[in-house]
Amino acid sequence: MTPLLEIEDLHARVGDKEIIKGFNLTINEGEVHAVMGPNGAGKSTLSYVLTGKPGYEITSGSVRFKGKDLTAMSTEERAREGIFLCMQYPVEIPGVPTATFLKHAVNAVRKHQNLPEMDTFEFLKLVREEGQNLGIGNEMIKRPVNVGFSGGEKKRLETLQMSILKPDLSILDEADSGLDIDALKVVAGGVNALRDGKRSMLVITHYQRLLNYIVPDYVHIFADGHIVKSGDKNLALELEEKGYADFVREK
Amino acid sequence: MPGLLQDKKFFGEDIPWLCALREKGADIFRRLGVPGAKVEDWKYTKPRILNADDFVWPEAPAAHECSCGCSHHNGEDCCCKQNLPLEAYQIRFENGFWQHEHNHLPEGVTVLPLDEAIADNEICRRWLGKIAAMENAPFAALNTAYLENGVFICIERGVKLDKPLAIISHTCAGESNLFYNLRNLIVLENGAEAEIVEYFHYSGIEKSRYFANIVNEVMVGKNAQLRHYKLQDEAFKAAHVSLSTVQVKADGKYHHFCLQKGADLGRDEVRVKLLDKGAETRVDAAYKMSGWATLDTTTLIEHISPETYSEQLVKGVVDGEAKGVFQGKIHIAPNAVHTEGRQLHKALLLSDTAEIDCKPELEIFADDVKCSHGAASGELDEEQLFYMRSRGIDEDEARQILVEAFLDDVLLKVDSESVRSWLKSKL
Repeated sequence: MTPLLEIEDLHARVGDKEIIKGFNLTINEGEVHAVMGPNGAGKSTLSYVLTGKPGYEITSGSVRFKGKDLTAMSTEERAREGIFLCMQYPVEIPGVPTATFLKHAVNAVRKHQNLPEMDTFEFLKLVREEGQNLGIGNEMIKRPVNVGFSGGEKKRLETLQMSILKPDLSILDEADSGLDIDALKVVAGGVNALRDGKRSMLVITHYQRLLNYIVPDYVHIFADGHIVKSGDKNLALELEEKGYADFVREK
Repeated sequence: MPGLLQDKKFFGEDIPWLCALREKGADIFRRLGVPGAKVEDWKYTKPRILNADDFVWPEAPAAHECSCGCSHHNGEDCCCKQNLPLEAYQIRFENGFWQHEHNHLPEGVTVLPLDEAIADNEICRRWLGKIAAMENAPFAALNTAYLENGVFICIERGVKLDKPLAIISHTCAGESNLFYNLRNLIVLENGAEAEIVEYFHYSGIEKSRYFANIVNEVMVGKNAQLRHYKLQDEAFKAAHVSLSTVQVKADGKYHHFCLQKGADLGRDEVRVKLLDKGAETRVDAAYKMSGWATLDTTTLIEHISPETYSEQLVKGVVDGEAKGVFQGKIHIAPNAVHTEGRQLHKALLLSDTAEIDCKPELEIFADDVKCSHGAASGELDEEQLFYMRSRGIDEDEARQILVEAFLDDVLLKVDSESVRSWLKSKL
């Protein structure tokens, strides 16, 4: 098994507050890991630390991605190397058509992979193909990025980006928040389509519900900045029954 | 040493009214001079560089000669000979001198060099010097003192110009500090329609200094429509001062859009008088700058009659140690009831040293009017930047995309799609 992401004794803070405290996790190629934790455990912080958001500072520990030191890379370098963050609250960008945004992103990643840039025709064909299953048509990508999108549309657009950028590691931060059951199925379908035995996922959630649709290989319980217990998918069911209190107390 | 007022031989020194007009302009400029910090109208934009004592009048370029001074490509494809990438009638000025161009103009459209029009054209003689103010406009007075070069455009009653008319002003200053004036008179008779594009650019030595002093006198007749677009892309050490004075008659429409991105000192001033009921104007502007430039947008909208309408959107992006200035005044005369005037200025500051000075003024002497103004400034949104970077987009590219997005809504005010995409390509 080839390790894709290796996190060792990670400590990170936002401002003066330490939020990630001694976090360890290794994700191998093709694996899907779920990290579950109560509100305030530091789940979103973990996703931002891994993607290099300004203001999220690593104080000690190491993070390696494909054997390279991730912490030395800028946000855009991490993205081009194959890390994708499916955001809990996708950002609205008035004035920028979705298609323009997507095309810039696709070509930034292709340039990094020494592939020729896609022209408008090729790009639209790609969006049409990948968008079909997600119910995203030409009309939607003409609108400014996420502006006036419903919760479901925003998450479908995140999934579309994932589908066309084809990242090696997808980090899904509360991918089910704000979704009804039908939208959840569509999004999960898009995510599952990327599972090919090579690509890996880190699914961050506080409900077990999402894991009925995106079935993880491993489940970790995350509390107070680190993992308190790991297991297989049954751990999520156990958690659903008992709640977080038991596990947090165990420590 | 030679300043802005110099002795010069003029065309038409045997025409008494013309000499009197020039003399009046010279008198007023002598009295007002280059405005200092105490002049309210110029308190943010200090035209110190116009106190230089080395101004030189450009020489008229010899016929058949490339006037831009670029020795490397002397011919039809030279930078100074290039037309706009637009389907348009094109008129070119080189250092303020008219360059002959063949345009097959439709019937009812007159386009003449100003000196020819002064000599021959009754309409030109009727309006020239009657629309532009001089008393509180020192550079318009200066422009009048040197009144000679420019274009006269007349669109006759009911005629609709089928494509835009572009006025391209190219400067190549070389080593000397050139000073030239352009005076344009644009008359749309009742029911006429036209689109006019002004384009100011330069080539040659990068650090060229020069002063382009522009005055447009514009008359929009009853039910006529003029869309007046402008791109100011002068050399980065240059000064560009422009005043467009516009009168709009009943149910006429005047739309002004100016994108400023060049010059060390750039001022686009527009004064619109809405003379009669139903007259309408939009005065929009965008500016994008860095370095040490000062770019100024100054507007005065006078609602003289009832049921007149005005709207303004001005947006700017300021980087480096540059300074953006917006002064916008809406004046509503005592009897001008049921008028509407709206104004909005928004700026994006990209550095800690960038500056914005904004002065909105409403002078309302009538009841029962709708009037508003607003101003806001901010920085690029960090969340948006992170979102784009997290998709692999380079930080600089992401910033550029966001800057263009910020200016997008004001550029959308440009109705003509071809002009709009040309302007976008220049951002």
